[in-house]
Amino acid sequence: MVLRIRLARFGNKHQPFYNIVVAQARSARGSKPLEVIGTYNPLPAARTDVSDATSAPRAFKDITLDKVRAKYWLGVGAQASDPVWKLLNLVGRVDATNGLDGTGWMA
Amino acid sequence: MAPRIQSRSVSNLLPYITSSSSITSSSIPSLCSSSQSSRYFSTTPAPQTKLRRQMFEWLSTQGSGLKHHTPGETNYLRMADGSQSNRPFPNNMTFISEPVLSEELRNEVYFRVKEQKKSPRAVSVELGIDMNRIAAVVRLVELERRQRDKGKPLALPYARAVHEMVPTTPLAQAGERQPYHEPINDLPVHPLTGAQIFYPVPESRPFTRVDAGRVFSGAPKLEKKVSDKITHPSDLVDDLVQKPGSIEWVGKGDNARQVLQPADVRIPHPQLVQLARDRAAFPEERRTVTQRHTERLERQEKAEKERAARAAERRNRNTETIDPKDSRFSFRIKDAVVSEETVGKNGRAPWAPGRRYGVPTNDRTRGTVKIPTRVNV
Repeated sequence: MVLRIRLARFGNKHQPFYNIVVAQARSARGSKPLEVIGTYNPLPAARTDVSDATSAPRAFKDITLDKVRAKYWLGVGAQASDPVWKLLNLVGRVDATNGLDGTGWMA
Repeated sequence: MAPRIQSRSVSNLLPYITSSSSITSSSIPSLCSSSQSSRYFSTTPAPQTKLRRQMFEWLSTQGSGLKHHTPGETNYLRMADGSQSNRPFPNNMTFISEPVLSEELRNEVYFRVKEQKKSPRAVSVELGIDMNRIAAVVRLVELERRQRDKGKPLALPYARAVHEMVPTTPLAQAGERQPYHEPINDLPVHPLTGAQIFYPVPESRPFTRVDAGRVFSGAPKLEKKVSDKITHPSDLVDDLVQKPGSIEWVGKGDNARQVLQPADVRIPHPQLVQLARDRAAFPEERRTVTQRHTERLERQEKAEKERAARAAERRNRNTETIDPKDSRFSFRIKDAVVSEETVGKNGRAPWAPGRRYGVPTNDRTRGTVKIPTRVNV
């Protein structure tokens, strides 16, 4: 069975919040995963700490991730779903061609 | 709807009514007759007509002066002796129209905090404005500048009109003394002090505000050698400002609370108490006293800044911000560590990263209080 690193949706209507989870590929989205390795909040939060009037600060999105576990699971053959690939690419540069064997993680 | 019986016909229909009520019935036509001149067809006694007449009388005589206001002055009803009053509603004596900050004064607040880099605490004392208001002014002026930069319209005519009509605190000219806008050193009421406690103390034992705070919070009394060192409650200020974490805790779990500090510590500007005490103790050495006060302020500010910097550094230590070129957003990446400490032995500790599984979110349950119910002062 394929292991997949994917997002599991939490939160209410119009308030999505995702756990980044390692789960069996064919298990349901809401079922209990093997492991939760992080979270992703797709709702952008406006920055309140910047008082610089000249440059409009970008709103930010929060990601938490256990890099060590992510590396490990990729190393043992877990496949990341597309949205998770994008997140992993932000966190550390992952090469999609050889990322699956664990060597593609550059960060 | 049944036809209404007019008051006059009632008195005609009931000839047997008692003498006392016949007096009242006889007084009704007299009332009516007074208003009959203006309302020929009405038989209803209308006592408000008199008030109405008086109102128009007032509007044409004394009230006519209030029809147009003088810009820069309040246009409230005057007192009986003709002096200006700050109570616009004579029947509501508890409503007092408090002054607002004038345009120059609020700009001066922003200038001192942002351009001269003074601390809000110092500016608050200089201008006699509450520290919370200082913070609010800085935020709002900042917001206004941002609106201007974006070219967005401001409701300036509205602001001007309001400022013309309400009392304002002006900014003092050079050489003048700045009038205080409001009391700045008010002691917030702490819920712990609401209790009435009977606490017998031997006469021979000194019992100070420090001890009272400990009694209120249910803490054991101070050891003698500790309490002997405190000559005045405001001696504690310096240490507590440097290390706010050093305040003692009592109680367990949800009931844990910090020991209530004496009022000398909890007021917004505790250093003013120390200044006043110094002035009273050394009335001749004005310069030295002022210098000591300045040094104390500087020390406090330095400690506060260091603390804020440490907190920010702690926050940022595990956080990395990434601004991708092709994205409208930046991403804050925090390092989560899945270990026994962070997720618990079974991996399901409440403080583990991520939302939890198998735990219903009770945020929609009836009766759930979602707003904070306690504030730790």
